Order: sequence, then C-alpha cells, then structure tokens
Amino acid sequence: MKLPRTIIIEMAVIVVFASAIGLIWNRQMLSESWTGKVNRTVPTATPTTERLPLPLGVMQVKELFDRGEGYFLDARDSATFEKGRIRGARSLPLGEFEARLPEFLKQVPRTMPLVIYCNGYGCHDSMDLGKKLIRAGYWEVFIFEGGYPEWKEAGYPVEGTQP
Amino acid sequence: MTDTAQKYLALALRIVLGGVFLYAGGLKIADPAAFAGSVAAYKLLPTFGNYLVAATLPWVEVLCGLLLVTGYRVRAGATLILLMNLVFAVALSSAIVRGLDIDCGCFRQGGPKTSPWIALLRDLAFIAGTVVLLWQDTCRAKPPDA
Repeated sequence: MKLPRTIIIEMAVIVVFASAIGLIWNRQMLSESWTGKVNRTVPTATPTTERLPLPLGVMQVKELFDRGEGYFLDARDSATFEKGRIRGARSLPLGEFEARLPEFLKQVPRTMPLVIYCNGYGCHDSMDLGKKLIRAGYWEVFIFEGGYPEWKEAGYPVEGTQP
Repeated sequence: MTDTAQKYLALALRIVLGGVFLYAGGLKIADPAAFAGSVAAYKLLPTFGNYLVAATLPWVEVLCGLLLVTGYRVRAGATLILLMNLVFAVALSSAIVRGLDIDCGCFRQGGPKTSPWIALLRDLAFIAGTVVLLWQDTCRAKPPDA
C-alpha cells in the first residue's frame, strides 16, 4: 500500500506536535536525566506534583560506587540481604520502613544521594521505597532497576554469607 | 459485507483501538519516570534515550487515540498506531529472544508483571485490527465502480 503524500505530512505533524507537548511537559525530568543530577533546590511551597526516583543503569551505578558517592540501600528483607548484597550496602526493607525511618533520618542526612535496589526488573520494592524516602524529604533518590542480580552478573563487588 | 456492516465495523475498531491507546498513553503520562524504567528494562536505548521515549511516546499514543475516537484524520492516526505497534512487536520479540524477564510496560507501570509473550500476542491483535481499519477506510474512499 502506497501512502499518499498528505497522510505522510499529517503523520509528521501529529508526531512533531505530540512530541513537543511531551518534551515541554517533561522538561524537568529530561534535564535531570541529561545532567544526571536531581534539582537540589528545596521547594518553598508544597510541590503540586509528586517527585519520583530516577532509574539508573548498571554503568552509572558502578560509577557512583567507584567514586564512593551515594548511599546504597537494599530494599529486600533482612534474610536475603544477609545472604548477598552489593558491597557496603545498608538494609532498609520496604516492609520495615515505618518502624526504621526515625533512626534512618538521624543517621543519613537528607542531602545524601541514595541508590536503592532490590531483586531486579521484576521487583518494585526499590521504586516504592524510593517514593517513600522522597516523601520523607530525601532529595537525590536513584533506583538501580537491574538490582542485585544484574550487579552480581556483571561481576561487581558483593558480600554476604552466600553472595 | 454490506456498507452498513462495514461502517459499524470501522466505527467499532476506531473506538476500541483509539480507546486502548488513550488509556495506555494516559497511564504513562501519569508516571513518566516509571515508564522510563520500563523502557530501560528492554536494554535497547542509551539512558537518555529511555527518558526521551518516556517523555514523548505517550503523547503520540494519546493524540493518535484521540484522532481515532473522534474520527478526525483517521488514516494518519491509524497508520501511526500501526507503526508504533510494529515497533513494540519488534522490541517485545527482542526481549523474548534475549530471555529478558521484564514487565512489558505497556499499560500501568509497576504492579503485576505482563510477560512479553502475552504482550506480543495482544500487540499482534492490535496490528490486525489496525490493518482491517485501514483496509476498510481505503475501500470506502474509492468510488463504487473503481
């Protein structure tokens, strides 16, 4: 089927128009992902839209790890954490968030970049924990969606009883 | 098929396909960062590419869905939906071939996983529907004795 010229022009207009709206609508998310930094400006009023944790790829997570930047946080349960974790990661299981938040707030300053992970792409605990920590006032919250399985598969440093 | 039956079939296809794309796009617009994560899970694009797709694709979906439902510029909207579905089918097939255990990220982000196989079958059904819609439209556009 040969497409008439007018249909092709109409399709181009649709794509350009919709993309332009998308780019403007998501300009903050795009600029944050381009620079790899979350805007540190503390809002003066209650934000109207909920901020979301930014997903990072395994390479970027490894860069943060190598530079010693970021507080690595394991969202899985304590037993799984004890067995094997990213080296130096701390445990904050999603299920124990409410109970452990007060202590966590005392230990970890809100300006500290957090890198949260769980059991890989099928696991949404890290995203849920990230959202809760943003609501608790943390400003740089990253999600490593590949999680422990991708980290281990890449041969990066792990520790635990059965890593 | 009679003219009336054809007309109703085209109408039904427009509403269903348009509705599906409006719904799918709307859910992604509501949570673009999570959708960027779903795109990243396919491991096909560089990091910023995932965000660029997450920022723009849902709006194209919604606009095309809107055109189909309203019946305005149906051929352009339906052709774009066909192209998008073909791209999705390729991405899903590549995920299956590479053995990636990921959520399709087609509709609601997060929650229970939809396997690439189910998503691919659904996608093929949409492709079939769009092809029928475009074919009907082409037939009706021709003069009766052509």
